[in-house]
Amino acid sequence: MSNNIDLSIKFCGVKFENPFLLSSSPVSNTGEMVARSFDAGWGGVVFKTLHADQVPIIHPSPRMNTYNYGSKKNIGLQNVEMISDRNLKDNLLDFLYLKKNYPNKVLISSIMGFSNDEWAYLAKASEDNGADMLELNFSCPHMSVEGTGHHVGKAFDLIEKFTATVKKTVSIPVIAKMTPNVTEMIEPALCAKQGGADAISAINTVSGISEIGINDFVPKPNISGLSSVSGMSGSIVKPIGLRFISEMGQCKELSLPLSGIGGIETWVDALEFILVGASTIQVTTSIINYGYGIIQDIIEGLQDFMALKNINKIQDLVGKALPNIKSTDNFDFKHQGNTNYDLKKCVGCGQCYVVCHDAAGQAISWDKEKRRPILDKDKCLSCMICSFICPVEDLITYNKMPLTWNRKQAPVMGKIFAKDLKYKPFCNQT
Amino acid sequence: MQCSKNFHEMELGFDLSKAVAEADRCLLCYDAPCSKACPGDTDPGTFIRKLRFKNITGAIRTIKKNNVLGGTCGILCPSENLCEKACTAKLKSEFNILGSDNAIAIGKIQRFLVEHGWETGFKPLKPGKPRKEKIAVIGSGPAGLSCAATLAQHGFKVTIFEARAKPGGVLYYGIMPYRFNKSFLDKELEDIKELGVKIKCNTPIKEHKGIEKLLKQGFSSVFIGIGLWQSKSFHEKFDKEISGLYPSVDYLSGICDQRFKTIEQQIKDKTVAVIGGGAVAMECAEASVNLGAKDVYLVYRRSYLQMPAEKKEKIRILDAGVHFILLNQPIDYLIGQNKKIQGLQLNRTLLGKVDKTGRQNPELIPKAKWNLKADIVIEAIGNKPDSNSYKLYPSVKLNDKKLIINEKNTMTSVKGIFAGGDIVQGPSLVVKAVQDGKNAALDIINYLS
Ligand SMILES: Cc1cc2nc3c(=O)[nH]c(=O)nc-3n(C[C@H](O)[C@H](O)[C@H](O)COP(=O)(O)OP(=O)(O)OC[C@H]3O[C@@H](n4cnc5c(N)ncnc54)[C@H](O)[C@@H]3O)c2cc1C
Ligand SMILES: Cc1cc2nc3c(=O)[nH]c(=O)nc-3n(C[C@H](O)[C@H](O)[C@H](O)COP(=O)(O)O)c2cc1C
Ligand code: SF4
Repeated sequence: MSNNIDLSIKFCGVKFENPFLLSSSPVSNTGEMVARSFDAGWGGVVFKTLHADQVPIIHPSPRMNTYNYGSKKNIGLQNVEMISDRNLKDNLLDFLYLKKNYPNKVLISSIMGFSNDEWAYLAKASEDNGADMLELNFSCPHMSVEGTGHHVGKAFDLIEKFTATVKKTVSIPVIAKMTPNVTEMIEPALCAKQGGADAISAINTVSGISEIGINDFVPKPNISGLSSVSGMSGSIVKPIGLRFISEMGQCKELSLPLSGIGGIETWVDALEFILVGASTIQVTTSIINYGYGIIQDIIEGLQDFMALKNINKIQDLVGKALPNIKSTDNFDFKHQGNTNYDLKKCVGCGQCYVVCHDAAGQAISWDKEKRRPILDKDKCLSCMICSFICPVEDLITYNKMPLTWNRKQAPVMGKIFAKDLKYKPFCNQT
Repeated sequence: MQCSKNFHEMELGFDLSKAVAEADRCLLCYDAPCSKACPGDTDPGTFIRKLRFKNITGAIRTIKKNNVLGGTCGILCPSENLCEKACTAKLKSEFNILGSDNAIAIGKIQRFLVEHGWETGFKPLKPGKPRKEKIAVIGSGPAGLSCAATLAQHGFKVTIFEARAKPGGVLYYGIMPYRFNKSFLDKELEDIKELGVKIKCNTPIKEHKGIEKLLKQGFSSVFIGIGLWQSKSFHEKFDKEISGLYPSVDYLSGICDQRFKTIEQQIKDKTVAVIGGGAVAMECAEASVNLGAKDVYLVYRRSYLQMPAEKKEKIRILDAGVHFILLNQPIDYLIGQNKKIQGLQLNRTLLGKVDKTGRQNPELIPKAKWNLKADIVIEAIGNKPDSNSYKLYPSVKLNDKKLIINEKNTMTSVKGIFAGGDIVQGPSLVVKAVQDGKNAALDIINYLS
């Protein structure tokens, strides 16, 4: 490693050598796999969700589909996978093996009961065989049995009930894993807290459809002619994950430790989750795309960043962005701005002209001869869409204007129709 | 020397994922400069944009409608000096552009799209509503094919008269198969034949005034696209009977027809001297290497920079192992018994004053003659119209180089006779011949309505 920055952190009283864990998924399916991830540098694991062997678990085949954008592959992943298809005994034997060989790595057992008693049974079995913590899977979107997976995550009273059952059974810390397929997460998270949860993890996969076969009309993955609305993960869901973690991070009433999940691939993604309140980080899809080795760049990148910023402890970064997230009514609307164009760098593609013309303030005209944009700063809306499409870095930058500056208004085309106008200003009746 | 590649196989093109990745780098320029830079109006700005937005069939349609030899041009155009030269993505210079500083590989995308159309069976071209007029096209090179295809899409009955056994002109008889192979040409020809164009091979027009007479034999208009099929020689004593002495046209066309085996045997393990510094000389030199010649010398009377061939070609030829003998002017043939060539007498030169082509003129150094031994000598210093071709159209005005002069757009001095391609432009490019043929078709339609 590049330096001596210590990435260790305490989460629910348990010490993690670093905050980066495999999340519960195929990447944490067996003891052999998890052992290799530990060798690669991961700080812990949330093992693939266990069940009590009461119904046979068979994964659909095929069970995943990728989501591409243009030539950019795998920006998202869809899966219809079930919980662990191994029997409980084999998984528990692997727990013993992992705890024996990797005593300093944190082993979190993810469980899902199909009844209150099953939750208790699985919690106990996990604790008895070395699990350091539990994660209650209230969020798998592919379980069709009522009272399981995300059906629980959406029936908030069950969250409280099952959490309380588990808490009564075991003494190790308990995390509740939430589904994002709700409008607000605070309420179910508070139910988990009510039941005694020590931490919240989020997000599980986001319900969606990644692709529809345009020849056979069957969405993907195509399981013998059928598919399902099912869980999306990977880079495309990161904004949703950041949203839920930040909202829970800001909620005083909740104030539980958070484990951030959703599209984390680089140290920057991980840091963003930490900045909105996560103190551990869980990863699946980017391991599905690139393997366990990505941990090296996550650790080295974050350590170097912290060294450069003179930050010694991860804990000092947790939630640091939260004070800067507010609802829009708190904004300073008086200060307006426009853009600066550094035309020395311009290559003449004309995309700024197209987008400003069709989607913004018509602030740009086009010099056909020189192939250069001509900016009328007074019309610029400061939406910045031109800078998003511009191929040259830092050619177009935001420019804050003094309070005295006024933007030119868009022309009104219908002035000559004033006499035909049927309109009077809204007048509050009360 | 070793034959570096299979003589009859050309490099594979892009597959779908490569083409999509390349299209993703495109900046989707407004008023796209690449489109303006294409001499054939193939409109790369539009077809790449269509590919980018997954409108693959539309992209294929754009290419084929604008350039019926779009696949061929994708392979043969010196695109780095045409469309790709204008590519904005290339203008990275000192700025930090996302992606890379290479031009978008327009030619390769174009080739891919056309091949993809063949693979998926998508046919964007349709014959037009039948019209009664019949049009004669002389020559099945790029100019003639393009003219015929455009006319057929407007419903005309078109017959192409072709002197040789196979259609395609230089595409069949000039360009070596490892650069552009015949089965690719066949597919592109198939698209044209499906429009109802009739190609009559082995049907040279040779009668005196033969081309002009067609107007009285039921054809409403005639298009001349006969190209340049006679090699120039540096020597007035040039003699077909000298064995081992080849004009470039015979050498290259021989390789492309049934004489292949004979020529291969003649070249294998022998010393070859090629005279010239243009694209055709490069083609001859590279072909000789690939046929297994022991040594290939390229003799050019000026220096490296003055050679008219593309830089990329020159470097490719050098890397293939051809020895460049620059600043040497051939003076005479060395001829042995039985009129067998034995090499060339060369005279070393220095560059002197700039001539009207803007290049310095080679001046002979006194007492600096020497002999270059060679088993085969190929003359590739330029092509000109066949010395008898003007007799086929004696009323048509020609310039001092015997090239046809187009008076109004593509119409010659004789009403109803149109011309284009190399026979008008001099040695040019496939894409320019395609454009000429297309323009002539539109002029013919105008003329007839
Ligand atoms: C060796 C070589 C390599 C080249 N490489 C390239 C390249 O890589 N890229 C590029 O863009 N350009 C290249 N060119 C140039 C390009 O091939 C020509 O510009 C183009 O082929 C001209 O097309 P055209 O239709 O005018 O004539 P041609 O292709 O010459 O076709 C003329 C046709 O007319 C026929 N014909 C002639 N007289 C008669 C008659 N009396 N009756 C019936 N038919 C007749 C001929 O048999 C021939 O088939 C190359 C040229 C040569 C010679
Ligand atoms: C900048 C922006 C502003 C938007 N404003 C509105 C709005 O005022 N009213 C509305 O109903 N939807 C609004 N939308 C949502 C869009 O109408 C649309 O539902 C959404 O962007 C998803 O569609 P798309 O991503 O496929 O374009 C807005 C979207 C964007 C990007
Ligand atoms: S025809 Fe040739 S020059 Fe024109 S766009 Fe295609 S490759 Fe470029």
